[in-house]
Amino acid sequence: MKSRKWLVQVILIAAVLLSACGQAGGGSQEPVVLKVGWTGAPDTLNPAYAFLTESFTIFDLTYSALTTQAVSGEYVGSLAKEWTHSDDGLTWTFTLKDNITWHNGEPFTASDVAWTINAIIADPDGWAAVSNYTANFVEAAAPDDKTVVITLDTPVGNMEYRLSWIYIVYPPDFEVFTTPEDLQNFTNDTPTGTGPFKVTSFDKDLGVIVMDAYADYFDGAAKIDQITFQTFDNSDAMIQALKVGDIDMVIDVPQSAFATVEGFENVKAVKTAGSYFSELIINSVPEDFDPAPNKNPALDDPQVRLAIAHAINKQDLVDAVLQNLGVVGDTIVPPQLGGGFWHNPNIQDIPFDLSKANAVLEQAGYVMGADGVREKDGVRLEFRLQFPSDNPLYPRVADMLTAWFKEAGIKTTPESVDPDSLYSQMTPAGNYDLVIWGWGPDPDPDFILSVMTSDQFVDGGWSDSGYMNPEYDQLYLDQQVTVDKAARQAIIWKMQEMVFNDRPYIVLWYEDLLRAYRSDRFTGFIESPLGIEIHHSMLQVEPVQ
Amino acid sequence: MNRRDYLLRKIFFSLVTLAVVVVLNFLLFRVLPGDPVRAVIGRNVRISADTQQALREQFGLDRPVFPDQFLTALGQWARGNLGVSWSLRKPVSEVLLAKLGNTLLLIGLGQILSIILGVALGLLAGWKRKTAVDVGALTFSLIAWAIPTFWLGIILLAAGSTWLGLPTGGIVSPSNVGKPLYTVLPDVTHHLILPTLTLTILYMGEYMLIMRSSIMEVLGEDYILTAKAKGMSHWQVLRKHALKNAMLPIVTLIAINLGFTVSGAIYVETVFSYDGLGKMFQTALVKQDYPLLQGAFLLLAVSVILANFLADILYTYLDPRVKAS
Repeated sequence: MKSRKWLVQVILIAAVLLSACGQAGGGSQEPVVLKVGWTGAPDTLNPAYAFLTESFTIFDLTYSALTTQAVSGEYVGSLAKEWTHSDDGLTWTFTLKDNITWHNGEPFTASDVAWTINAIIADPDGWAAVSNYTANFVEAAAPDDKTVVITLDTPVGNMEYRLSWIYIVYPPDFEVFTTPEDLQNFTNDTPTGTGPFKVTSFDKDLGVIVMDAYADYFDGAAKIDQITFQTFDNSDAMIQALKVGDIDMVIDVPQSAFATVEGFENVKAVKTAGSYFSELIINSVPEDFDPAPNKNPALDDPQVRLAIAHAINKQDLVDAVLQNLGVVGDTIVPPQLGGGFWHNPNIQDIPFDLSKANAVLEQAGYVMGADGVREKDGVRLEFRLQFPSDNPLYPRVADMLTAWFKEAGIKTTPESVDPDSLYSQMTPAGNYDLVIWGWGPDPDPDFILSVMTSDQFVDGGWSDSGYMNPEYDQLYLDQQVTVDKAARQAIIWKMQEMVFNDRPYIVLWYEDLLRAYRSDRFTGFIESPLGIEIHHSMLQVEPVQ
Repeated sequence: MNRRDYLLRKIFFSLVTLAVVVVLNFLLFRVLPGDPVRAVIGRNVRISADTQQALREQFGLDRPVFPDQFLTALGQWARGNLGVSWSLRKPVSEVLLAKLGNTLLLIGLGQILSIILGVALGLLAGWKRKTAVDVGALTFSLIAWAIPTFWLGIILLAAGSTWLGLPTGGIVSPSNVGKPLYTVLPDVTHHLILPTLTLTILYMGEYMLIMRSSIMEVLGEDYILTAKAKGMSHWQVLRKHALKNAMLPIVTLIAINLGFTVSGAIYVETVFSYDGLGKMFQTALVKQDYPLLQGAFLLLAVSVILANFLADILYTYLDPRVKAS
């Protein structure tokens, strides 16, 4: 193979020099191909060790899980037809749908489900990408071909969500690996799944994935024949490709290009409410923490935090920086999670009011100095304001914040920092004052809530604010084991309120999800906060007649 | 000094340069801020602190940079092993080899075309100096040389895809991936047109400018006047007396450029999503993939040193002054 490559190159050179033009012609029975462009690519197609969102986009189309998130945000059965759990929440019984087959035509049985789940339980190091979803799982059993029984050691509050990430793999593909390393080095370029599309080729170097529709998909076959994914290293080129029709659909239209795309002929630009948010992080690491934080002590004063909140015009940020491609944010659980079920709607945001900000600081004893910076007991309200250098919007945000803060007698100095350096400067060193950054939460609030727990403020952990509140930590553990949805919702609302009032984060905005497709060629996409590329949507897509 | 001594000295200095490069190559990336493990995985929801630590151990990053990591790397290189890429989980040599072919194809085409066109245009301009041809060629070359690569690439991409229906990126269309080569050749050709054109325009200016000034200098020499006085035609003078001497600076330029060819054309490859070394350099840097970066820079250093060495050898044949010294 390798030795032939040189020959191939030589032939190519010759061919190009001769430069015969004209695309390979096609017959009249062309298959219907949906060509997708994106700027990313999966890291691997092995669900045990895939970490990038792009991998999960492909898994969603090629694999199936017991449950799936519907476009409404609720969890519904995918492989599972129905399920029940015991009163103590420790035993879950799933009944599978009929007529499920693997892409190779073999029948799919409950023992395949049990095998996958037990493999993850047995080798959490090998299945690093999904092992957190089987935490508290004891074992899975298949008493018959259609029934799966999962036993737990403690109740799990978000069972349906967790199972939606556990893609059931074809055991013969995975049984051969005996060590975590062997399993992780398996690239699984042509996965055997049960989903509506079957990967026929994945060329990581060229950034191309080709998927054919699987005619025997258990929920009904797709209306298109093929999907191709092509990676662009340059988003301008990708947008141009959409414009001229080289591709039919774009995942993640850059905010800066969205208005342009809206003006394209025969292209529909799709904007749906999304859950990515940006926030102002206020250093909340306790003074007695080891290592001791390096921050302006005035940030520990709740009145200073309140004044900062009053001095931020979120609507202006959304209008000017986000170009209206999003909405003002308030809590760390965005309204889109779970179809709005988890977002606390009762939180009253702090209004933008500079005179209020000044009054709050005045009352708290911060006196305006000759240079326009307030001061109390020798502590000046002068903060570092840092942001990761890879975000194109944050410099503008920092400038606007700095201008408003100045009006309130707070001096901030914006600084762009390499994201990795910024992280290591923050967690667990605590060497910062204010930082602008963002998150893309998981569909279940568990993850984004964990970001505020004390034990995440360690090297490699997810806490960057250093917020430490034992009551919050306890509530976090409580919501994990609360199976009753309403009860869990009450806990989660309370947690949002605590973070909102203590202000380790001031959430600035929730970003819209931006997609686009060629409306002259395809129709039927389901527009939802989950994106138009999810399998529910791809099953409905059909060519324009 | 005879040619053997001259060559031995050149080989010795090349090896010294290589040794320095190897050490620098190792140190350079380790002074970069940030944590490679986090760079490889990004800000990812699914990676726990434990997994990150496991990765760190797997990469050998839990051990001190000096001497542990340095000696390990040195030992590997000595055995011709470039290690395994962290982000791609493939042997570095395999990755480099695959991309090298693509890059040589693209840059090679661009270089050949720009050398032919640039040298021809330079000759023409130098020969017809101070005419409209000269002014036109000079203006074009100066603009081509000064133009930002990225910008030219995007403009050509937009124009070419809109009016000529040329592809917007990649080496083959997604539907043709994995098909037998002879069926996709026209498609590959299609994909190569715009990036090759971009590179040709970019390189051409430089060759033209050097060639023009070089030929003008040579044409002012006394021996040219003598040749003309002997009654030789313009063409004979140019071919027999001027060209060989005027080519010297171009040979140097070609040698240097060929050495850097291996670094790929980062901008062009990025604009056209072309799977070559340049694009790989960029991704490896963003991902802080040390083994891949080190391997790539080693390859780059070796080819630049090698190209210069070849230029030195070539000089002993082309330039009597080098032969004599």
